[in-house]
Amino acid sequence: MKLRNMLRSLVATVAIAAAGASSAQTIGYIYVGPEKDYGYNTSHDLGRQFVEKSIAGTKTLHVENIPETAEVSRVMERMIKSGASIVFATSYGYLDYAIELGKKYPKVAFMHAGGLKLGDNVGTYWANSDDAIYLGGMAAGAVSKSGKLGFIAAFPIPQVVRSINAFTLGAQAVNPKVTTTVVWTGGWLDPAKEAEAANSLIDAGVDVIGEQVDSPITIAQTAEKRGIYVVGKDVDVAKFAPKAVLTGASWNWGPTMVKVVKEIQAGTWKPSHIRGDLKDGTVVLDPFGPAVTDTVRKSILARKADILADKFEVWSGPLTRQNGAEILPAGKAMPMEMLESMDFFVKGVIGTVK
Amino acid sequence: MTAFDIVTSGFLISALRSATPLTFALVGETLTQRTGVINLGLEGQLLVGAMCAYAMTAAWGNPWLGLVAGAIAGMALSAVHAALVVGTRANQFASGLAVWMLGFGLSAYYGSSLVGRKIESFESIVPKSVADLPVLGSVIAGLTPTVVLAVLIVPVSALWLWRTRTGLRWRAVGESPEDARAAGANPSLIRIQAILLGGLLSGLGGAALSVDYTRTWAEGMSAGRGLVAVGLVIVARWNPWWTFPAALLFGGAEALSLRLQTADANVSAHLLHCLPYVASLAILTLTYVRGRVSSAPAGLRAVMDR
Repeated sequence: MKLRNMLRSLVATVAIAAAGASSAQTIGYIYVGPEKDYGYNTSHDLGRQFVEKSIAGTKTLHVENIPETAEVSRVMERMIKSGASIVFATSYGYLDYAIELGKKYPKVAFMHAGGLKLGDNVGTYWANSDDAIYLGGMAAGAVSKSGKLGFIAAFPIPQVVRSINAFTLGAQAVNPKVTTTVVWTGGWLDPAKEAEAANSLIDAGVDVIGEQVDSPITIAQTAEKRGIYVVGKDVDVAKFAPKAVLTGASWNWGPTMVKVVKEIQAGTWKPSHIRGDLKDGTVVLDPFGPAVTDTVRKSILARKADILADKFEVWSGPLTRQNGAEILPAGKAMPMEMLESMDFFVKGVIGTVK
Repeated sequence: MTAFDIVTSGFLISALRSATPLTFALVGETLTQRTGVINLGLEGQLLVGAMCAYAMTAAWGNPWLGLVAGAIAGMALSAVHAALVVGTRANQFASGLAVWMLGFGLSAYYGSSLVGRKIESFESIVPKSVADLPVLGSVIAGLTPTVVLAVLIVPVSALWLWRTRTGLRWRAVGESPEDARAAGANPSLIRIQAILLGGLLSGLGGAALSVDYTRTWAEGMSAGRGLVAVGLVIVARWNPWWTFPAALLFGGAEALSLRLQTADANVSAHLLHCLPYVASLAILTLTYVRGRVSSAPAGLRAVMDR
């Protein structure tokens, strides 16, 4: 692995050097995976392209495949030495490195994706996709004939557990009897396991699959081949599986990034936790696929309007655990801490969080 | 449907599918190691094989062309290992790692435009109605050409290694290059051939992974299977006959770890993901406890001790 990191840092050096001369308008982007993964990293790269297009005179540097190790400090420093005055550290594990480097370079602004710590010049941004996944779950519940849904996910961490619960709650809003069977793959990117997990679920009678791995693409293509449906996440992959994709919850980081960059350039920026959602457009409900009927579309869009108008809250009681124990009584909203550290499945989910 | 049914329905074919890319790589590495050369570059060869096969299939619409392209790409990359190890007598581990990184980088660079491309690929080789047959129906109906090819390549390579004169010569080179040379063989040439054959088969394994199994190209998609194959050579005790059970054991454990979750087995997923490794280790330990430790080619020990 050492060698791999060395190779990567070499590539990174060349990439940064090639980007060349310094400018007050240079912005650096660091990705943990391939920029063209058609998933999480692609969503950030689309944001980068949006920034470059929207703010005249802005130049961006970007480096992909940087592991969450001290390597990221070295890449950030090289970016700064090449003139970057703003750095977007787009992976969760980059946070401590960004904070540390923020102290060393007080004139550089750092933006971290999803962190819960701030520095004098380190801010964070993130968005809550639960609402959009809930709406995707409604599509899944409506389209499923067997009433058996599946969810393929990488690791049992709170963000993913939330997605699985939101997906299930959305589906149950349409058909109270549906269940969601969870399969963990144990890796953000392992297409062979993702395909096999999808096949296992389909063999067990599942006919709509939700997912939260690096990219929905393998699962979507497997579903297309086997004639079942998927609800995507991070980036819309409908063009690669036009029949299978029902809808999805995609990121739209561009506008948030442009806003922050403009504030920084105007000198009005104060580091904070910027949190977006379906309402402000940082999360988008993807266009519906052909399998979603007009009636279903209408009911989903009506629920979406309720969410946007604050008339409906996904995380509100009554909510019960898998074993039937009460989580929240009717009418009560979920406390923030419970939401951010979610380690339980709601009733109707089949699988273990451990 | 009971939990048992869910695990068994389609389990065998799913184990076979998981084992297929591994079998190609494993047979190739077994033959290479039989001549006294270790190639850690398998992972990189799988990746370039997968990438080139996918590109070819996407461009020409013919998965068979994809398999050929993958095999050639794997072989071409392994030529680097052959040149370094046989040509310049470089350290085999360092050279293998270099090939791995090279394959990772090249496939990532040239593969980036392939992400998300759609391909037409193999269909099942038997009519769909076969699936209704009892017991083995689902297995037979799920057979694709690469699965069949993987199953066939095992006896072919085993018979070739154990029953032909060239096979004997390869084994002789692996045991003692000096003696083999004295008997009129050319150890360097044979090792180059063995490395290239290993490259060809691992490229084919990569092609099976991208073109047939997942129908996807993603950077780093082999996810460690090449390294696993290098390890499974020991489980298979350098014997091509045992490569298939070894690959099937690993693939089966992987398939089982996913299927148990769909059957609500209520076991921690972290533990389930250890299953393939635990199973391989268990077999390894069992076979070594029963003796016959010395099935490794003697020439290979020279590499380890150096």
